[in-house]
Amino acid sequence: MTIQHIGGCIGCRECVLSCPCDVIRMDEAVNKAVIAYPADCQICHLCRMYCPVDAITLSPEKTIPVVVSWG
Amino acid sequence: MSKSDELTRREFLAYGGGAAGMLALAAVYSRNVTRIDTDAISSSTHQCDVLVIGGGMAGLFAAVKAHDAGASVMMVSKGRLGSSGLTPFAKGFFVFDPATETMTLDEYTYTVSRSALGTNNPVYTRQTAEHSLARAAELREWGFFDSNLYNKAFRRPVDARSIPVIERVVITHLFKEGRRVAGAAGFRLDAEATVTFRAKSVILCTGAGAFKPNGFPVCDLTHDGTIMAYNIGAKVTGKEWNDGHIGRAKNPAATYDGWGDMFDQRPSTEGVGVRHDLGVEVNYLAYMQGSPIEMGPASSIDGEPFRPAEFADVQRPSEAPAGRERPQSGGGPGAGGGPPARKGDANGGGGPGLGGGAPGMGGDAMGGASAGMAIHKSEGLVPINDQCESNVPGLFAAGDALGSYMCGAIYTQVGSSLAGSAVQGAVAGEAAARYSQGVELQAVPEDVLTSIEGEILAPLRREAGYGPAWVTQTLQGIMIPNFVLYIKKESMLRAALAYIEELRDHHMPMLRAADMHELRLAHETANMIVSAEMKLKASIMRTESRCSHYRLDYPQMDDENWRAWINIDKDEQGQMRLEKQAFDAWPAA
Amino acid sequence: MGVTVKPDLKKLIAIAALVVFVALPILFYALGDFPRRSVLKEAISLLTLVALSLMLGQFFLARSNMGVIELYNLRRIRTVHAVIANFAVSWLLLHPFLVVVPRFFEAGIEPWDAMTMMLTTYSSTGIALGLAAWVLLLVLTVTAIFRIRLIKALHTKYPRWRHFHGMLSIALTTFALLHAISLGRHTDTPMATMLIVVSVVGVAMLLRMYFPQRAGAPEPPSAPNVREQAR
Repeated sequence: MTIQHIGGCIGCRECVLSCPCDVIRMDEAVNKAVIAYPADCQICHLCRMYCPVDAITLSPEKTIPVVVSWG
Repeated sequence: MSKSDELTRREFLAYGGGAAGMLALAAVYSRNVTRIDTDAISSSTHQCDVLVIGGGMAGLFAAVKAHDAGASVMMVSKGRLGSSGLTPFAKGFFVFDPATETMTLDEYTYTVSRSALGTNNPVYTRQTAEHSLARAAELREWGFFDSNLYNKAFRRPVDARSIPVIERVVITHLFKEGRRVAGAAGFRLDAEATVTFRAKSVILCTGAGAFKPNGFPVCDLTHDGTIMAYNIGAKVTGKEWNDGHIGRAKNPAATYDGWGDMFDQRPSTEGVGVRHDLGVEVNYLAYMQGSPIEMGPASSIDGEPFRPAEFADVQRPSEAPAGRERPQSGGGPGAGGGPPARKGDANGGGGPGLGGGAPGMGGDAMGGASAGMAIHKSEGLVPINDQCESNVPGLFAAGDALGSYMCGAIYTQVGSSLAGSAVQGAVAGEAAARYSQGVELQAVPEDVLTSIEGEILAPLRREAGYGPAWVTQTLQGIMIPNFVLYIKKESMLRAALAYIEELRDHHMPMLRAADMHELRLAHETANMIVSAEMKLKASIMRTESRCSHYRLDYPQMDDENWRAWINIDKDEQGQMRLEKQAFDAWPAA
Repeated sequence: MGVTVKPDLKKLIAIAALVVFVALPILFYALGDFPRRSVLKEAISLLTLVALSLMLGQFFLARSNMGVIELYNLRRIRTVHAVIANFAVSWLLLHPFLVVVPRFFEAGIEPWDAMTMMLTTYSSTGIALGLAAWVLLLVLTVTAIFRIRLIKALHTKYPRWRHFHGMLSIALTTFALLHAISLGRHTDTPMATMLIVVSVVGVAMLLRMYFPQRAGAPEPPSAPNVREQAR
């Protein structure tokens, strides 16, 4: 699920700014952050750590198949 | 085709292919249903003396030092200052403090050269060590060492100097006027708008790149700077080297979880500690023995990549406290032949768990966590001098975007990645400011800018095409396997190259994008394709094994022919051209 | 008859009150589909929810609810009202700080930076509502603590102060509820519905006392009606 849940968002945009992969966008109508492009999440938790109200919960699972070198 | 035919075909697809088939189809090749009005895209133009592209450690110092040297500076970043690229995850900062080190600067440089088997550029090795203490002092003053998040500390000196920072702008093109660089162009992520920067000088602080791998927080870096510079004639180096990080087999993509508590840590400084890390030993082990790999003191096997005896014992925890380095160190990954360094708690071991002994994380290891990335600072623009200057006048690069070979083609000095970026950023900033004092801002013809804008927006305007996510996954499937990327042999490299050339010739010109996010993905995917081609061609050319480049068909080091780096540029016909450049020599400007 | 029934009724009402104001929010929290975070964070959240719910309960521990007052006697109700004020209201006054307290124990943005960021997010009506509620709560608390001195200083009478206290609490509740609904991570539909229903009933009772329908109606309104609603 990567970024799993945004709850209690105050609309400050910190997560949108701090996401290196542009996963989160604002839903301007309600002034809340939404998980717009979960497939591109690298599960680095920067959004969670920059969020002033700790609104973001992440899961370690990726939404798309994962390619590795060997395993 | 009649309407009913079309319906029938759709129905056939829906019933025959099922939901999964439809989903796959939607992701691959389909009509481009744009979510924005492609005819209503605005544009803006900025101008400055020195344009710094990238907001990581190198970009910070480039902007600050260029400003302090009297230039008007602008910063532009795909992400946020201090929160994009690899900088946010780098926690160790190498400091050479003459007051406490027992080695001299020359001895240090020589030690790195021995570990790097000659692949390092001693001028840059020395430069990083020499200036590291001063850069660390500035960072301390800005509060860098006080938080695990860097944005606030990075903003401090930038705001104090009122340097404009334009965030969330993806730069895709550099342009020249005559021989000299004249600016850069790209687009905004948050608005339907293109952005053009006219500048006397440009410093690429765009980091390195990879193939959006799973297990390393590098998925926003796709060699953008390298490829746009290559496209205007800059020389590029280091594509055959590999960063051999491994990760956990369980949830490999979860970089935060994979690195234990490292992303939570505040940065700190590191003294001299030269290693020989993150080559391909562990990948060789996996190739020969299969997975899961058996790690242990006696795990070395015949034919494995050469490691100088002096640097055999790399797991000295005192030298390399686990987790204090940016993700590429910590003693674990790549350090085949011993247990990972540990640091008290179970998660403190060297990064993602090693096979057979993942510290505190349980489970097996997997390879290719950082697939597509070379050893830090071994790949990027070829410097023509010690001033981070490229062969294109006015174009500079610093940090991971510069192929400075500061620590060679293997990971040598702990914490030198972050320190090297700071030092080179400062050097490049001052050099670019000096350069810009002697030249005029150039007028770029309108038709050139219009054509660039067309190239930027092309994926949005295509009515149909290939989804960048699918092309990226296809590229990953071609490039990331151990037997292609790490344990190389000519037949396989050529086979992979055939696939990549197909992507280059047929897919790259047909990437589609439905919105600004996908537009970014489309450009990133194109950059990865070109980078993959470079990687394969350089790997085929280097008929020896050395440091992090390993050829199964040429397992020995060949000092007679290969005390040389490989430079790549575009020839007059637009073809990729490779040349050798002797170690310790500068290329012709 | 009354002698045997009354203690049971007392017990029943107390249990009913505990169920409505304490158990229900906990139940909705437990049933809700929220990510579970650290014990500290969840404990703070849960206590805040219960505190909010108990604050709404204050409407039912007032003169507008004569039935309860008659049942238990005024002094005991006043004591309970004061105890809730001390604990729940102080907790809610601390709420803006409690949101950032866990940051002291984990990596990420510094607590005071988080606080600053939160309070300067002017684009958020939820934050503005919360700030307004917080200020009103502070005024309510201070004027309640110093009510005797205030009444003397302003040469007014106790009922007027009570009126002021009640009206202020209605305004405060409105802001606080809107704030909780717009920003609360645990205010899903069931939780929000419960909070709204409880508030509407409580406020209605208060308004009915202040603005009786018939001119010259006795204040407070007749006990049986109130008791009906309270149940």
